[in-house]
Amino acid sequence: MSYSTSPDWADVEPIAQEDGDHPLAAIAYMDDYSEAMSYLRAVMAANEHSERALVLTEDIISMNPAHYTVWLFRAKTLFELGSDLREELTYLNAIALKYQKNYQIWHHRQLIMEKLGDPTGEGKFIAQMFEKDAKNYHVWSYRQWLVRHFSLWDSPTELSDIQSLLLADVRNNSAWNHRFFLIFGRQEQYPSFTPLPETVKRETEYAKTAVYSAPQNPCPWVFLRGILKKTKQPLSTIQSFAAEFAPFERPDEVKSSHALDVLADIFAETEGRKEDAVKVLDLLAQRYDPIRANYWRYKKARLTPIPMATTAAAA
Amino acid sequence: MSLVSGPGRGGGGAKHDLPEELALFVDKHVEYIQTLDTRRDELEYWLTEHLRLSGLYWGLTALHLLGHPEALPRAETIAFVISCQHENGGFGAAPGHDAHMLYTVSAIQILATIDALDELDLPGRAGKDKVGSFIANLQDPETGTFAGDEWGETDTRFLYGALNALSLLHLLSLIDLPAAVSHVQSCANFDGGYGVSPGAESHAGQIFTCVGALAIAGRLDLVDTDRLGRWLSERQVEGGGLNGRPEKLEDVCYSWWVLSSLAMIGRLHWIDGKKLEAFILRCQDPEMGGIADRPGDMVDVFHTVFGIAGLSLLKYPGLEEVDPI
Ligand SMILES: [Zn+2]
Repeated sequence: MSYSTSPDWADVEPIAQEDGDHPLAAIAYMDDYSEAMSYLRAVMAANEHSERALVLTEDIISMNPAHYTVWLFRAKTLFELGSDLREELTYLNAIALKYQKNYQIWHHRQLIMEKLGDPTGEGKFIAQMFEKDAKNYHVWSYRQWLVRHFSLWDSPTELSDIQSLLLADVRNNSAWNHRFFLIFGRQEQYPSFTPLPETVKRETEYAKTAVYSAPQNPCPWVFLRGILKKTKQPLSTIQSFAAEFAPFERPDEVKSSHALDVLADIFAETEGRKEDAVKVLDLLAQRYDPIRANYWRYKKARLTPIPMATTAAAA
Repeated sequence: MSLVSGPGRGGGGAKHDLPEELALFVDKHVEYIQTLDTRRDELEYWLTEHLRLSGLYWGLTALHLLGHPEALPRAETIAFVISCQHENGGFGAAPGHDAHMLYTVSAIQILATIDALDELDLPGRAGKDKVGSFIANLQDPETGTFAGDEWGETDTRFLYGALNALSLLHLLSLIDLPAAVSHVQSCANFDGGYGVSPGAESHAGQIFTCVGALAIAGRLDLVDTDRLGRWLSERQVEGGGLNGRPEKLEDVCYSWWVLSSLAMIGRLHWIDGKKLEAFILRCQDPEMGGIADRPGDMVDVFHTVFGIAGLSLLKYPGLEEVDPI
């Protein structure tokens, strides 16, 4: 449709882009876009919040969803008109699924959800988004906002959704992070919060099982370290577990550089095991993670004092 | 500056075999950036209008690093920047677009790069103080973080941008700096990285903004250098490139976010610089200029500037030195 010939828009004087001596090329689609934009400038200048303005924003969004100004104006108009926000969500679902990289839409959705005050159905929609890209950062940020805003920390569907995402891809770091967030995220608001012992146990076992299925996957290792740190347990709690994947005396059988790394950290803090720490760090620098050799050498240099071969021989 | 992608592809597409020993095609990239703004007959030029001012900053920075600051006419650059300014002191991405933190920061960065910040104070213009107060008003007094505009979306990108622009304007005194610093602290994760908000997954881009903000505030002492340096160095994958999060694909723009963060905490040598350099050079289009996110993809100005800035941090010969903040 053309705005200039529509009776709905006859009273509006479009405001053209100030564009000097570079006229728009005469490509049909481009003409539609620039015409719609000139009407948007006009309704914004007049502060017109109307049904036709909503239709206009939809038209522009369908051509260019990344235009931040149009979203802001749309939200303002929806609130002015007291529009049906459920209907808006349905509309947003389709746009979000179509334009995965767009982030303006997520802030808009948050504004709508804040007004609506009821997150029913959001989990289902988010699952649809994750079917396309289970690591979409905007979607995860939005999901965290939902959890925080509606206090969904203990919602069984939060955990079961994460469970199935990790089942589909155990290397999905975003899902691991959300899992961690569900356990400890409350500390941001309630610093004295501590998770139940059975939760800690369940989560530890969960991570260990994931390591068995893919020992070189960094995510559950980081998760395990995080749990130990947050619950003030020493790293040596997982020493024998890590040793299963990193028999450093038989380097050919090492299955995980992350397990070597855990052992190196434990040995560095253990009296009489500095020499083993050196062995493990050398394995990392030379064989299992040579691209980061400088980092492993730095860790080796920080072992104090660097043990001498003779010390071990005397002992 | 246009954000139209292409026309070329990194690695030059299938028909070109890249030589073993790659060099940076300086002249091609200068030409590529210069011609970007002549592509007004392409639809994508208009669809990326909402990023125009940032695009200009990226192109300008690339030209400066390549040693060709003269390649964009100074007077026109200033005129375009000023044409994006609103009465409240803020800047939109292009004339007629709403004022937003991101573009206000780009505007200040552009003017600072070409030593033209005094243009803001010419008669009839809003003045530096007004720009400063536009930015300062976007700080949330409760949490210390910053919104992008009146609608209140917050992101550590906005916080970093605010600190960056205010420090260029010498107006950091307008904000509650300790509150901003403690918000950054609240975004720190147990893996050593930082996310977009408290508890959000660590992400190289967000780490750059958080560490950059702490650097400007003079509070790098708050960073857990060893753990963060380790997380950042783990971003290097077998092929030499860097990814932005664990288990994601490598991408040239992370050469900048990761490297500059490593440089700020003095741990640049924890990655293999030679391998990364070779990866970035493989993403060039040797014929028409420009750099892509990875070999085989379309080039664009965003990845061109961050590829070149990464090479500059790696001390690639012939490039101007870039400031990691
Ligand atoms: Zn990229």
